[in-house]
Amino acid sequence: MTVDTQNEDSRAMRFEVLKGALKDGVAARVGRLAFARRLPIDTPNFIGMTSRGTVPHVTPDNLGKHLQTTGAYMALEDFIERPQRYSKRTPPIYGTPTTSKHNTRLHSFTGMPQSTTTVLSARRIPAVSSPMGNTNDSISVFTSTGFQALTLKEYLSAVEALDPDVAIPLADLTNKGIAPNSKRALRMAERTDEWVVEWFASLSESTTTASSTTATFAPILPVSYPMQWEYISRLAEDYLPTGQLSGLAVYDPDLLPDLAEHAPALLPLPRLSLSNPPTPHHILRQIALGIDIFTLPFLNTISDAGLALSFTFPPTPSTLTPASTSTPTPTSASTSLEPTPGPQPLAIDLSNPAHATSLAPLTPGCTCYACTAHHRAYVHHLLSAREMLGWTLLQVHNHAVMASFFAGVRAALARGCGERGRFAEAARQFALAYEPDFPEGVSERPRARGYQYRSVGGGEVKRNKAAWGKLEGEVGEGTTRG
Amino acid sequence: MQVTRARASILTLPHGTVNLPIFMPVATQASLKGLTPEQLEATGCRLCLNNTYHLGLKPGQEVLDAVGGAHKLQGWNRNILTDSGGFQMVSLLKLANITEEGVRFLSPHDGSPMLLTPEHSMSLQNSIGSDIMMQLDDVLVTTSPDKARMREAMERSVRWLDRCIAAHKKPDTQNLFCIIQGGLDLDMRRECCREMLARDTPGIAIGGLSGGEAKDDFCKVVSTCTEMLPDLKPRYVMGIGYPEDLIVSVALGADMFDCVWPTRTARFGNAITKHGVLNMKREMYAADFGPIEDGCGCPCCRPTEEEGAMGITRAFVHHNAAKETVAAHLLTLHNVWYQLNLMRGAREAVIEDRYPAFVKEFFGNLYPDRNDYPLWAVNALKEVGVDLLEI
Ligand SMILES: [Zn+2]
Ligand SMILES: [Zn+2]
Repeated sequence: MTVDTQNEDSRAMRFEVLKGALKDGVAARVGRLAFARRLPIDTPNFIGMTSRGTVPHVTPDNLGKHLQTTGAYMALEDFIERPQRYSKRTPPIYGTPTTSKHNTRLHSFTGMPQSTTTVLSARRIPAVSSPMGNTNDSISVFTSTGFQALTLKEYLSAVEALDPDVAIPLADLTNKGIAPNSKRALRMAERTDEWVVEWFASLSESTTTASSTTATFAPILPVSYPMQWEYISRLAEDYLPTGQLSGLAVYDPDLLPDLAEHAPALLPLPRLSLSNPPTPHHILRQIALGIDIFTLPFLNTISDAGLALSFTFPPTPSTLTPASTSTPTPTSASTSLEPTPGPQPLAIDLSNPAHATSLAPLTPGCTCYACTAHHRAYVHHLLSAREMLGWTLLQVHNHAVMASFFAGVRAALARGCGERGRFAEAARQFALAYEPDFPEGVSERPRARGYQYRSVGGGEVKRNKAAWGKLEGEVGEGTTRG
Repeated sequence: MQVTRARASILTLPHGTVNLPIFMPVATQASLKGLTPEQLEATGCRLCLNNTYHLGLKPGQEVLDAVGGAHKLQGWNRNILTDSGGFQMVSLLKLANITEEGVRFLSPHDGSPMLLTPEHSMSLQNSIGSDIMMQLDDVLVTTSPDKARMREAMERSVRWLDRCIAAHKKPDTQNLFCIIQGGLDLDMRRECCREMLARDTPGIAIGGLSGGEAKDDFCKVVSTCTEMLPDLKPRYVMGIGYPEDLIVSVALGADMFDCVWPTRTARFGNAITKHGVLNMKREMYAADFGPIEDGCGCPCCRPTEEEGAMGITRAFVHHNAAKETVAAHLLTLHNVWYQLNLMRGAREAVIEDRYPAFVKEFFGNLYPDRNDYPLWAVNALKEVGVDLLEI
């Protein structure tokens, strides 16, 4: 089955479902999402989470060379700060010239490889909740210089200027982490509905003049279906037939069964999860619910915490019965890494001194750059010496583990999507093979002082201890004058 | 007629040959500030520094021995040079004091008294497995007025070299360099040269130039030493990194340099260019879509249509300076490339017999107005036959 969401010359997105159980409503499926001039994304899959236009700690050359990630999620709030002394300036990104190598302003400004599919949204995931709240024509966003209003108009012109492959229209979200009451939920749906109408009206105007290739993935709100049924019906009835709607940006994948029941016309569209799943167990569940593409904020967090992902899909026999050969010799009882019966950890903590002399790859069998050119002892040393390269290598490894996890998922799905298929079977094994949560890394975080971590509610403990006297950091480096 | 004492040579080391003159980036703790060894190698770097003092603390000698040395630890198959560890103790630890036995200091771990002897320094550097190791020397700031102490330090450094040579366990795979001391006293420097040369180490370093001395004095010391040194041994001026210092020191006959400045200044948002240092954090770069430096061949700056080009703009570096580590990585990459490329250019110029013209072009780029040329450089270059001010 093929959905050509747009006619060929105006839109360049194609999404094909290669294998799936469409007739039975939502379920796991295998597909391929492709944009002109970008590498196709085989689904289910994930895209990289950027911070200020970059996958944290990974320069664009390493991104192209060592990450298999072919998509990048970007938040407009990372680009539109207003420095106090230059509060009137136009965000520089809007004026970026494009080049033969970077054919959109978004690629050009960030140096993102041309082959990477870009997804633009207004806010990061997870978004910092704003004390100001949204208005009828704007949402509150959090930039490096503080909270500011982003109007629908400005967002629309940003999309036009930056020309992302996918844009997610504004949604009226609370970002509070708790469900809104029904009155607020209803207003969320009403506002989002109005904004989406204005969005498509504005886009159809601009496409008559400019040749925009941006595909719209409409937000599906994290409120119950009855609260947003009118909005969802409009998507299905008004914008799907015109070809203006190309995909869904799903904030709560548990709504997918309702969607299948009430708006089956939307089912062929690609579904992007913005729900911040905390573990691979949650990812598997969402895949079963029919999510095609994931944004995974935990990857960056895990790397910052000094953790190396250590799971595979399907779980390999050795993870079910751990071999002691792959485990470094413990240096003391308290840091023992002796294999224990039962579920295996989802990640190993490389700041653990037990890895200090281990020449083993970060996880057995991993073929990423970090695992083939380096070893645990080096990453452990880098974390302990607080050298930035440690986080770079962990990002490379963790993205590679995630990429092969999804490759495993697709392979299993190809051999059976149903309840008794290969995927469902392997997912059950995965749940038994691995612990439910990530271990908490003890390593010191790199960017804990950055604005991204600003505590809005307060009460956060200081995470990194003070540097030791004169010996650490800038002063400790010294030259070799002999 | 030979103008300047600049040399182009090839240094053969256990992990491959190295073209001189050379700038060596400093990977203090077995890592060059966020660059992968692969990225570092792609800049053309074939010899970088590790600091013995830091590696002795982390990961520590035991781990180095277990892992099989620093090359293995950091996945770097090119050459490594290590310092003795002494300088950093003296400069970083206020409580260090020096006796004939070695450098006494308090452990940063638990405050217990420790001692770095020539033997211990050699043992650490043997564990690191560096291709070039430095003798432990008695370092005294050149500006010290205490003549007697300066002589003691110079003579002690000679005695410590003897102890280093005796303690060096792997002379067939690791090259030990001596370090010439003697402060600003040229006679003392000459005397030290004679003593050190008698020990016949594979390479020679000029030490103790801490940056506190006047540049004229610095040049006189370098010049006095290189005059006495044999042609066929590499000459390493320690701790030097500003482009002007490199260019003048090469003219004075020095071959090897190291400094943390290019990588440290990158982390503060500074880009080294042939027209001077630019701070990318300044608002004027917020919407500047040119490369960090026009004409630069580094992976950030080279024209986007070229292989391996990233198409990084000043605007992007500005956008992330002090906000995302990637900005520091990109500037580090650019700055290291700049320094290595400067030395590549110097080498080519020497080979093609046009070093004086190269030097003039370099200063012309850096100072649009001749009247701004630093006098020390003008004077030092005049001594070796280059008149910077001559039209
Ligand atoms: Zn790996
Ligand atoms: Zn450059």
